[in-house]
Amino acid sequence: MKAWLTALIALLCSGLALALGAAMLALPEFAVRLPGQVAANLDASGVAHPVTAVLLNFRGYDTLLEVAVLLLALLGVFALSRHASDHAHPAAPAHPVLQTLARLLAPLMVLVAGYLLWIGAYAPGGAFQAGAVLAAAGVLLRLAGLLPAWAQPGRLLRGGLALGLLVFLAVAVAGLPQGELLHYPPALASPLILLVEAGLTLSIGLTLAGLYLASAGWRQ
Amino acid sequence: MTDFLDPLPWLIMLPLAWGTLAFVLGPGRGGRLAVAAIALQGALALQLAGQLIDSGARVYAVGGWGAPLGIDLMADGLAAVMLLLTQAVALPLAVYARGYFAASPKGRELFWPFTGFLLAALNALFLSADLFNIYVTLELLGLAAVGLVAIAGGRQPVTAAMRYLFATLLGSGAWLLGVALIYGTYGSVSLAVLTPLIHAGAPLAVTLAAALMLAGLLLKTALFPFHFWLPPAHGGAPAPVSALLSALVIKATFYLALRLWLELFAPLTTVAAAQLLGVLGAAAILWGSVLALTQSRLKMLVAYSTVAQVGYLFLLFPLATLVPPGTADSALAGGVMQAVAHGLAKAAMFAATGSMIVATGRDDISRLGGVGARLPLTLFSFGLAGVTLMGLPPSGGFSAKWLLLGSALESGQWWWVVVMIVGGLLTAAYVFKVLRRAFLPRAAGDRVARVPRTLEFSAFALALASILLGLFGAPLLELLAVGREA
Repeated sequence: MKAWLTALIALLCSGLALALGAAMLALPEFAVRLPGQVAANLDASGVAHPVTAVLLNFRGYDTLLEVAVLLLALLGVFALSRHASDHAHPAAPAHPVLQTLARLLAPLMVLVAGYLLWIGAYAPGGAFQAGAVLAAAGVLLRLAGLLPAWAQPGRLLRGGLALGLLVFLAVAVAGLPQGELLHYPPALASPLILLVEAGLTLSIGLTLAGLYLASAGWRQ
Repeated sequence: MTDFLDPLPWLIMLPLAWGTLAFVLGPGRGGRLAVAAIALQGALALQLAGQLIDSGARVYAVGGWGAPLGIDLMADGLAAVMLLLTQAVALPLAVYARGYFAASPKGRELFWPFTGFLLAALNALFLSADLFNIYVTLELLGLAAVGLVAIAGGRQPVTAAMRYLFATLLGSGAWLLGVALIYGTYGSVSLAVLTPLIHAGAPLAVTLAAALMLAGLLLKTALFPFHFWLPPAHGGAPAPVSALLSALVIKATFYLALRLWLELFAPLTTVAAAQLLGVLGAAAILWGSVLALTQSRLKMLVAYSTVAQVGYLFLLFPLATLVPPGTADSALAGGVMQAVAHGLAKAAMFAATGSMIVATGRDDISRLGGVGARLPLTLFSFGLAGVTLMGLPPSGGFSAKWLLLGSALESGQWWWVVVMIVGGLLTAAYVFKVLRRAFLPRAAGDRVARVPRTLEFSAFALALASILLGLFGAPLLELLAVGREA
């Protein structure tokens, strides 16, 4: 039973892989050239880096929903961790060298996150990268035994987790009287994007760290 | 349109906002906010439907850029019908959920944030006209639904949630692979840009993409034989969650399959593929109904009934593919009517089921004795919902099956008529299995407690709506026709 099922799945997967390969070899010329359109509209986007322009302006609506997906993933962890909390244990005290190193690195990582956030306007960087660095600082502090695991996040923490999405939503609807959803007036596009990204950096950092901190007590 | 109170963007922003606020407010909070906001969403959906009937389908360029650079939203009659269904099901269920979690608090901590995100995902999905944006809405929808299945905790629900998570991620993955192939072929993900580009001689990549995306959607819609994840997930969750999932979530992926089939990939559809979908639908009707009959747990019976009712939705594909336009229109009307009728009726049925379980303290069909005497309104709601599922007049289910039967006869596909009639009889069998038990006197040692009035009346409102749909369904069909003249 199991063997023939595995063989069937393997056969189907190889068939799909072959078909994908054949399809790749026969791809036609693009009918639409988006990179050119992005470059042509970059000046009106409020930022100088095409990736940030696409993420926060041209396709900012996708990013808005993705931020909600991220928060939702953490809510899913909370839903599970409430039932796993019986097994939670405090972190074992870490080696003093690791603790000293973590104390040294954490402020630097916050600084790097701020730099990545700022530079996102004209070079690779932005809220997601900055948030990831913040989250890494949180995980490091937890591993060093300097941060407790999250049992029940308090209101301040919940507010911090939601802040990025709430700021993004407010900016999205603030433009409605003048135009469409998420329409930034060209003069204000730059500061509005920075505002959204600053809120997102904090919330993404907390959310990603939370994915680890909320489940950190599960294992034993 | 530059109106601050334009209903279209608010239908997406409002549930996102109240879902997030409910999370900030804290565990179990936000129910009153949710009821008020969903009522407002209902008004917005009605306003949007009015706009469409007056002035035709709408395209909305988010950010003012316009496709293909930006993301377009699109509202036509089909989208508006689904939006109306979503808010119409969600409002009574939100009222129901407040009463339900007051009586049975397990899982109430995160119910409102998850529900807010779920409704935002549904509204965004129905309005999206961009393949990648639809992927994002699918992720939002899938994660919210999985979270809702897991909120009650316990080994069985969490196992069901994990299985659901893997199924839904595999479905989204197939969709994303399809989107990548389409983008690699044409350089755009906008439906408006792509639709004129796709024709019968499209490259292999496009055919492959169509097959992958459709397969992913079938998995997410739990069409036989992909239904394995549905009964434990829908049958194990708290009753308001089961109702939301069965009534709305699987309809969203059905809606996408329908849109792709009728619009984007219409030049690639074949009679053989349509017949295959119809055969899977017929198998779902028969297999789901038979399994529903054999269940001993009430919620599992209702969950298997969903497997069966999903089958009816897919009978629309053979009836609407390469047949005369009149026949196809009536098949589409029948299929969409079935989606709406089943949405209302199944929400009513799960709500009534939840009340019976709260009242008897157990989920067991053989211990329902005394429910008829103690909870007559709840049992009446269950019966009315059953009437719709069976397709008896004057319910919405009757209109749906009548339209489907008509187009089956017109196009000479009599075999679907046989399936529908047998399915109706099997449905009657499992509905009466529950009703018969509930009318028996209470067994010695069993208890049947009273339940809050809000539980009884919200289930009744949903059941009544599923019946009235049959009597007053004409405006809905008029709305459905908006934007489909071409």
